[in-house]
Formats: sequence, C-alpha cells, structure tokens
Amino acid sequence: MITLLDYGAGNLASLEGALDAMGYVHKRAETPANAAPESLWLLPGDGHYHSAQHSLSESGWWGALRTRIREDKPLLGICVGLQLLAEGSEEAPDAPGLGVFPGMVRRLGPGVKVPNMGWSMTTRTDAHPAFKADSTGWLYFVHSYALAVSDSTVFSAEHGRTFTAVAAKGRVLAFQPHPEKSGAFGRGLLDHSLRWLGETPQEAT
Amino acid sequence: MPAKRVIPCLDVKDGRVVKGVQFQNLRALGSPVELARRYDFEGADEVVFLDISASDEGRSTQESWVRQVARELTIPFAVGGGVSKPEDFTRLLRNGADKVAVNTAAVQNPGLVQAAAALVGSQCVVAAVDVKRDQECGWRVFIKGGKEATNLSALPWLRSLQELGAGEILLTSMDRDGTLSGFDLELLREAAKLEIPVIASGGAGKELHFLEALEAGADAVLAATLFHEGTLPIMQLKEYLSDRGQLMRLEGPCKN
Repeated sequence: MITLLDYGAGNLASLEGALDAMGYVHKRAETPANAAPESLWLLPGDGHYHSAQHSLSESGWWGALRTRIREDKPLLGICVGLQLLAEGSEEAPDAPGLGVFPGMVRRLGPGVKVPNMGWSMTTRTDAHPAFKADSTGWLYFVHSYALAVSDSTVFSAEHGRTFTAVAAKGRVLAFQPHPEKSGAFGRGLLDHSLRWLGETPQEAT
Repeated sequence: MPAKRVIPCLDVKDGRVVKGVQFQNLRALGSPVELARRYDFEGADEVVFLDISASDEGRSTQESWVRQVARELTIPFAVGGGVSKPEDFTRLLRNGADKVAVNTAAVQNPGLVQAAAALVGSQCVVAAVDVKRDQECGWRVFIKGGKEATNLSALPWLRSLQELGAGEILLTSMDRDGTLSGFDLELLREAAKLEIPVIASGGAGKELHFLEALEAGADAVLAATLFHEGTLPIMQLKEYLSDRGQLMRLEGPCKN
C-alpha cells in the first residue's frame, strides 16, 4: 500500500490516476496519524519549497518524516519532494531540508529559461539495483530549482548545468521530474522504484 | 536543455470536443479523454484543452472529464477557458490538470496571476495572450476570445505577466490564426527574449512553419486543425524537426 502525503501541495489527482493505471493500491493521508507506518510513503510536491516545508511542519509530517528516515523505512519523493530531501534550498535558506541527499538546491540559470518546463533526456549515472533495466530516456520536468549531482545521484539531466534527476540513498528514492507524466519511460521508472521499495501491483485498472 | 514541445489544442464545450479529429484510419468525435489518449499515443508532448462552455452545467461537466483525462494521460495537460479566480486554479489542479491557462481575467485583474502563482506555483500558471498587429503599438492584446480590444501593448504585457509570476506564455497571433500561412515570426522573436517559456500558436499550415517558429525562439508549438484533420501526424512533424536540428522527444508508444 502506498500512502500519499496529502499536505496541500502536489498534484495528487494526477499521481493517483497513474498509480491506478499501473495497478498500485494507494491512500491519501492528511496527517501522520492516518498514515500506515509500514506502507510506502510518497512525498509529492509542486510549487514552493518554502510553503511545502511550512505545511509539512505545521501538519506534523516533518517530524514523522525525520523519524522514518532514521528508521530507514521506504520513502519516495517527487519534484519538490526531492528538493525537501536535500540539505536545504536557496529558495528558503531558513528552512532546512530533511538532509538525506547531500547538497543545497539552487536556482537554475542564468542564461537558460526558468522554469525548466518540458522533456529532458535523462541519463543513468549510477548502477542502482532499482533501475537495472533502465538507461536513458525522456522525462517531463517542471522546476526552477535543482540539486547538484552528488554520490546520491542515480540519473542526471542538464539545463544550463548538470543536475540530479533521480536520487537514492538507503530506502529513499526521489525524482525531480514527474515520472507519472513522462510517458512509458517515466511510468517504467516509477514502476521499478515502487517495486524496489517493496510494492507489488495488483491487477491494473 | 528540454526538447521543443509539440502541443495539440482541443476545444471542449459541455464535456465534448467541438471539432472531430481525424487520426490515421479513424475519425474520432467527442470524448476529450479518447482524443487526448490518442494524441498521447501519437507522440504529443502535452495537450491543451480550451473549455468554451459558458454554462454552469458545462463547468460541472468539466470536473468529470478533467479527472478522467488525468487518469488516462501519461503526458501533462493544461486546461483553460473561463478561469477567473484563484479557486479555479486549485479546482482544476485538484481534479488532475497539470497547468491552468488564464487569459481575459488576467487582463481584467492582473493580481489574479500573482495570487495564482503564490497559491499553486508559477509552473502551473499559463498566461494565454491573444494579439493582433497594430500600427500604434506593434501588437495589441485582445480579450474575450479575440472579440474585445484592450489598451495593452503586447510586449510590455508579456513582461508584466512574467513579473506577476506566470510560468509560461501561450501566445496566439490572431492575424495568423486559421490562415495556415505560418506563425508571426517577428512576434515570436520578441517574445523569445522573455525568461519564461513561450508556446507559439496561430498560423501553422505545414512542417516548415513549425521549424521557423522554433528557430525564431519558441519553446513549444501549438496547433489544432492541422493535427485534428490528420493533415500532419505529430510523429512525422517531430521527425522532420529533429532532422533539421531541433531537439525533439522522439519516443512514444507509436514509435516502438
């Protein structure tokens, strides 16, 4: 079962549509009290790092996420979800990140269009077991900030500079792009991530 | 660098697509979900829906087809038409749209763009702008589906939209729309100076026109009739553009 963190940021409807089509069972939870601890937690996020961090803290999720990370339980971040898992963001220097992935999230540019909106070729840079069968492909990105490449980077992409597209550490995986909106290749990566994090699809609807 | 995007635009009224769409061997009518899925399959990078329903009934129908499209599509989609308050953005996004396009209401109340960007993030806010060449100001902004002229000059207005927090501009040349004579390249060259992405719309009649628009600096190209009538299959267009040096996403179910 996948628990979708429903803290007011992130396009849950679109994510739910993809999970349904792929046959994964999921449930929204507005507070940590409603989230099954043994399920896979999915941390979505669109928009501002700061407001996402703020609402997660207000609703008690932030503490629950920290605990979860310490206990090495499965967690998947998408878009701002990845950024929140870094050490922090230039977008909100006073709001520290969850610190799973090394580095600060920094604004893209200058010299390129921001937001980076559209499909970018994404290249695997590390032999992570979740993505044995995947190499390169197009993924859909919508973001103004990005995390530099580090030893947590599994896939990278480029927009003025090379940045982390997919990161992994322990039982935490995260995507800067939207794999649920990235055609067959994106759906494939999402499926492989969910399987590696312990989920099994039921009959697809 | 992101690939250049090819975007079909579908007009929807009361939950039905207004014009039929001619796909290879199939003329599909009606359902936004079915047509969007078909475009996804044919290699479209994104789909834009323009809802021209005027009634309350049309509005409630909208929630249901938007939800269905969100479930079926593996690519992003934007919905526009009748968006007039911040809640319209949250409502459409909550139902699964990836972006929301605003046009007339942004001119009448520029604060709406700012409020929407603060509420849902710039990446979900598409500012649609309809313009016509004008001796006085270069290009003039029109609203209400092109029926009403404003006193806004297009280029400063585009810059204001960027500053207000729009994440992308969907720029339609009314002079060229429906003429099949090519995009307004001079307009696109000016708009390309913005820091946010620009979708070129209005005037596409053949493959070369799309190439010209991208070379003029557009980040994405949008067309309706040409795709709907099956005159130009999307993957054929993308291969043409790729062969001429444009970075295109050449994959999709129909490619495999």
